[in-house]
Amino acid sequence: MTEGQGQSSERKVDGLILHELGQEVVVPAGTRIVTQGETPEFFYIINSGRVKVFRETADGIRTDLTELATGAYFGEVALVTGQPRTASVETMEESNLIKVSKEEFDHLLDHNPQLARHIIHQLSQWLITGDRRLESQVVHQVKLRQISWFDYFLMIGLSIVLALVVNLYNDNKIPLIQDWGAKVAIPEITLQQALEAYQQNKAIVVDARKSAFYNQQHIKGATNLPLVLFDLMFPLFQFTVAQTEGAQDKTIIVYGGSFSRRFDLELARHLKQKGMDKVAVLSDYGGWLTTFPLEGQKPKAAPTMPLGIPGYIEWLPVGIFALILIPAVRRSPYLSMACRLILGFIFISFALSKIMRPAVFALNVVDYGMMPSWGVNLWALVLPWAELVVGLFLILGIRTRAAATLIGAMNIIFIVGLVNAIFNHLPINCGCVGEVGEPVNWWKVTKNTGMLVMCAQVFLYDRFFVLDRGGFTLRERKI
Amino acid sequence: MNKPYLKSAAILGLLVMGLVLGSCGESRSPFAGTYRSVEPFAGKNYIDLDLKEDGKGTWTLAGKTVEFTWVVNDGRIWIYTKSGAILIVTPGNGGKMLSADMSAEWHPGCPPGSCVTFRRVPEGG
Repeated sequence: MTEGQGQSSERKVDGLILHELGQEVVVPAGTRIVTQGETPEFFYIINSGRVKVFRETADGIRTDLTELATGAYFGEVALVTGQPRTASVETMEESNLIKVSKEEFDHLLDHNPQLARHIIHQLSQWLITGDRRLESQVVHQVKLRQISWFDYFLMIGLSIVLALVVNLYNDNKIPLIQDWGAKVAIPEITLQQALEAYQQNKAIVVDARKSAFYNQQHIKGATNLPLVLFDLMFPLFQFTVAQTEGAQDKTIIVYGGSFSRRFDLELARHLKQKGMDKVAVLSDYGGWLTTFPLEGQKPKAAPTMPLGIPGYIEWLPVGIFALILIPAVRRSPYLSMACRLILGFIFISFALSKIMRPAVFALNVVDYGMMPSWGVNLWALVLPWAELVVGLFLILGIRTRAAATLIGAMNIIFIVGLVNAIFNHLPINCGCVGEVGEPVNWWKVTKNTGMLVMCAQVFLYDRFFVLDRGGFTLRERKI
Repeated sequence: MNKPYLKSAAILGLLVMGLVLGSCGESRSPFAGTYRSVEPFAGKNYIDLDLKEDGKGTWTLAGKTVEFTWVVNDGRIWIYTKSGAILIVTPGNGGKMLSADMSAEWHPGCPPGSCVTFRRVPEGG
C-alpha cells in the first residue's frame, strides 16, 4: 500500500489514467476491506475517504501500521508476492474505492513501467523502514530486560537519602544508631553476681520487654516495666520502689533478653536519667533463662489488629498462585501488570504507615530478635522508604525488574523473620503496618510467599505500561 | 512532558491523596473530657486522664504528669507520647467509659491484667 499524489477527479496514480480499469465501489465506515492472511484478489485505489492499515497477532495484539487517504492505494504487496495478505485494511469513514482485479493489475504492471517502478520503490522503502522498526523494537526489549547495578544503587540510594533527610526534620526522629556515643554508661553485672543479689533479696529485677513476652516467661518476682510505655508507667514504678523496704540499698537489675539489647540498655538508661543510680544490666543478655528461677504462662498467640484495606489486598497474591499455574495466563503481560500494581499498592500503603513513626517500627524490628543493636534504627528508618520508592517504581513502571528483585529480597527477609518467630513461639504480631499487624502464622508466610511469586512474575514477564528506557510501551502501539 | 507521563503523574497523585486522606483522624469532640481510672492502677494509684479537644492531653499517675497527643481512628482513641509510647483506648457506654490496653502491644483487646478502665468525670465534679 502507499500514498499517491493524484486527485480522485482524474482517477490518477502517478500519471496513470485509470478510468478504463477496475470497478468503483462505495464502502461504509468501519468495513474491513482486506483481511490479514486471506488470499489476495484485488488491488485498491482510494478515490475518496480514509482507511486504516493494521496487523493483528493470534492473541489479539494489534499494531496500527498507517492511515491512507484519497489518492493512495493498497493491496499490491500480496498481488506482487503471491503470498496471503500481510495486513488488514478497514475504512475509517465512508470511502469510494476503485477495485482492480489481479488480471487487470498484472496488465497494468506489464504496460506501465512507471507504476512498476513506483511499487518497487515503495516496497524497498517498506523493507528499510521495517528493518529500522525491528531494530528499534529489539533494542527496546533488550533494554527492558537489562538490569544493572545502577538500578539498585538508584533505588537504595534514594531510599537512604530520603530516610536521612526526613528523619532530620521529623518530630519523632530517632538516632541512626541507638545509644551510639551515649553519655550515660550502664554498668553490667555478671549472671553469678546478679543471682546472688537476687537470692539475698538485694535486687529489684525489672523486665523491660513488652507484656506478652513477660507473660510468657520471666524471672520469678520480676516487675514488668515495658520500655514502650516507660513515661506512662514510670511514676507507678517509682512509687513501688519507694514503698519497697531497703530500696536504697538494692540494685535494679534490668533484663531484656533480646539480641539487639534494645530493651534492657535503653530502659536502664531511662532509669538512670530519672535519678536511679544503682542500675545494672545483665552481661549475658539471654543467660537469665537458664540461671534464674522462672515463671510464666503457656505461649499464646499475640494480640493482633486487622490491617484494613491493605490486609484484604494482601490476599490477592495467594489467589494469584492458582493463575500462575496456567502457562498461558502466566505469560500474560496483563497479569504481570496487575502483579506490579498490587505489589506497589501494598508496599506503598505499608510504608506510609511506618515512615513518620520510626521509633515504633524499630521496636517491632527488635521483637523479631534478629537484628543487632547497631542495625535496628538504620533498618527502621530505611526500610519504609525503600518500600515506598520501590512501590512507586513498580506502579510507574520504572526499572521494574530491579524493583521486583528488591521487593522479592524484602519478602525473603520477612519470610525468614516470620518463620523464625513461629518456631521460637515469639508472642508478636507482624508489625507490617505501623503499630498494628496481623498474627504471625503460616497464613502470613503464605501471603508473603504469594508476593514473592508475584515478584518473579513481574521479573520474567513485565512489559506493558512500562515507563522505562526506550519509551512508554502501551497495549496498542502506533508505528 | 508528554501525555503518558502526565497520566502516570495524575494516577500517582490520586493514589497518594487517597492514602493521605484515608489516614486522617476522626472528630475528637465526643471523647474530649476528664477521666479517672475505676480502680487504682496495680492496686496502688489512680490514673487521671485529661483529653483536650485540640488533640493534647495529660496522664497523671502518682503525682507525675505526662503530656501526650491523641487522635481518634476507626472509633478508637490513639494516645502518643513524645518518647514513643502508644496506647490504644476503646471507648464504651457512649464515651463515658474508656478501656486502655497497657500490654504495650498496641491492640484494642485489653487482656485481663493489662487493661485499665476509666470513667468520665462529670464537668465540675
